[in-house]
Amino acid sequence: MAAVLKFFDAIGRRTAKGFDEWGFGASLLAESVIWVFIGRFYRQPVRFSHTFAEMMRFGVAALPIAMLLAATIGLMLAIQSLYSLGLFGAQNFAYIGIALSVTREFSPLIMGILIAGRSGSAIAARLATMTINQEVDALQVMGINPVRFLVAPMLIALVVMLPCLAMMANLVSIGSAALYVSASLEKSLGSYIYDTLQILKTDDVWHGIIKSSFFGLLIGLIGVMNGASVTGGAEGVGRVTTRSVVQAITAIVISDMVIGYLSTH
Amino acid sequence: MALAAPEPETFWKPSVEELASRPIVIEVDHLDWSFGARQVLFDVTMKVHEGEIMVIMGGSGSGKTTLLRHLVGLMPPAPGKVKLLGQDIGKLKALEKLELRRKIGVAFQFGALFSSMSVAENVKLPLRELAHLDEKTMDIMARLKLEVVNMSGFGGLMPAELSGGMVKRASIARAIVMDPKLVFLDEPSSGLDPIVSSALDDLILRLREAMGISVVVVTHDVESAFKIGDRITVLDRGHILACERPEQIRVNPNERVQNLIHRRSEHVEVDPEEYLRRLAGD
Repeated sequence: MAAVLKFFDAIGRRTAKGFDEWGFGASLLAESVIWVFIGRFYRQPVRFSHTFAEMMRFGVAALPIAMLLAATIGLMLAIQSLYSLGLFGAQNFAYIGIALSVTREFSPLIMGILIAGRSGSAIAARLATMTINQEVDALQVMGINPVRFLVAPMLIALVVMLPCLAMMANLVSIGSAALYVSASLEKSLGSYIYDTLQILKTDDVWHGIIKSSFFGLLIGLIGVMNGASVTGGAEGVGRVTTRSVVQAITAIVISDMVIGYLSTH
Repeated sequence: MALAAPEPETFWKPSVEELASRPIVIEVDHLDWSFGARQVLFDVTMKVHEGEIMVIMGGSGSGKTTLLRHLVGLMPPAPGKVKLLGQDIGKLKALEKLELRRKIGVAFQFGALFSSMSVAENVKLPLRELAHLDEKTMDIMARLKLEVVNMSGFGGLMPAELSGGMVKRASIARAIVMDPKLVFLDEPSSGLDPIVSSALDDLILRLREAMGISVVVVTHDVESAFKIGDRITVLDRGHILACERPEQIRVNPNERVQNLIHRRSEHVEVDPEEYLRRLAGD
C-alpha cells in the first residue's frame, strides 16, 4: 500500500512541477512581450544591438553546419524517393514528395533539432552559469530587468532566425535534391525546378516558416527555464544543459506531429 | 638602518550623536524568514543612518547573506518589513523596485562581474542601461570610478584575467558608478590576503568620506568589521545578539559575541542517536 501511495505521490509531484515549469515559461514569454512593447516608455528598451548579436550567434554562425545538413537531407530524400517510387515506376514524380516534405516538414524539423542542440544548450548553460555566479542577481540589484536584458533578445533572435534558417534549408535541400534527381533521371535541372515551383504553394512555405518560428520560441523558453532553475554548481549546469536539449527536441517533435495533424485535417 | 613603517591612513568616523541625528536610510522591522521548515532569520530589527557604515557580522550559516538579500530586495520581506530610503520594498511594484534599485549599489561576494564583458564594460553597464549617456561620457565616468578603486589602466582586461582583490575592487567600481546613496558589500575581504583585505577596508572608508554614502558590509572578518564599522550588528543563528559601536561590542557580556570576536568555537554535544535519526531523515 505504501509503495502505491509513494508511486502516486511521485507522479503528483512531477505533474505539479511540470505545471510549475510551464507556468514559469508562460510568464517569461508574457514578460518578454511586455518589455518589447513597453520597455522604451520605462527607459528599459530591449536593445536592438543585443538582439542583433544573438541573431548572429544563433542564426548566422549556424549557417555552415545548417546548410551542410540541409544539403545532406535533400540528397537523402532524393535517393530514397527515387528508390521507393522506382518500385512503381513513378520516379518522375519524386519532385512532389521532395518539395512538400522539405518545405512542410524536414527543413523546420531538422533546423529546430540542430538549433535545439546548438543554441538551446548554449542558452541553458549561459543562464545557469550566470545564475550560479550571481550575475542575474547583479542585474536585478542594478535595476536592470533580466528578462528584458537577457531573455527577450534571445527569444526574438530565435523566433526570427529559425524561419530564416528553414528558408535557406528549403533552397539548399531542394537544390541538392534537384541536382541528384535530374542527373539520375537525365532530366534538365530547369525542368525539375519548374515542376517543383508548380507543385509548391505559398501555404506550404508559410506552414514551414510558422512552424519553425514556434520551434524557435520553444527552444528559447526551454533553455531559459532550465538555465534559470539551476542548482548545485558546475554539475547543475551540465544537468540543465542536457535536460534543456532533451526537452527541446522532444517538444519540437511532438508539437511538429500535432501541428502536422491539425494543418492537414 | 631600519626602514620606517608607513603611517597608517586615518579616516574620519562620525560620533554616535551625529549619526543618530541623521535620517534613517535602511529600516528592518521584525523580519522573519524560513527556507521550508528551517527558520534562518528571527525577528530581525535594525536601522542604518545616512552616511553610516553598518557591519553585519556573524559566522557561517548565521543568516548574514539571507539578511543582505532581503535588504537589496532579492527576497520578499514577509513577514516583516524592509524600508530602503523610506520606501517599503515589500509594497513596491516591479517598476518602482527597479527605480529604487538605481539608488543602491551592490558588490557581491565573488564579484558577479559579467565574464563576457571587459572590466570597463562591466562598470559602464548600469550607465549604458539606465542612464542613457553618450559613449564618451560613459567612458569618462567608468574611468573615474576605476581610478577611485585603484584600478585605472585595467579597464581593458577581462574578469578572468583579474586577481581576487581586483575582482572585488572592480565590483565596487560597478556598484558606485551610478553614485548610489546606499552601497551593500557582501564579504568584501573573503579569500583575500591580509594586506589586500586591509587596503579594501581603507577603500571602503575612503568611499564613505568622499561620497557620503551609507554602506552595509556583510562579513565574518572580525578585524575588518572593527576597523570600518560605525556600528556592528552581530548575527547568530538568525538572531541579532548585539547592534552596537565596535568598542561596545568588544566588551559585550554575551558569551556568543565574545566567542565570535575571539574566534572561539562553541563546544557542541552531539547525540549519536539523534544524529543517526537525522541522517535517516526521520
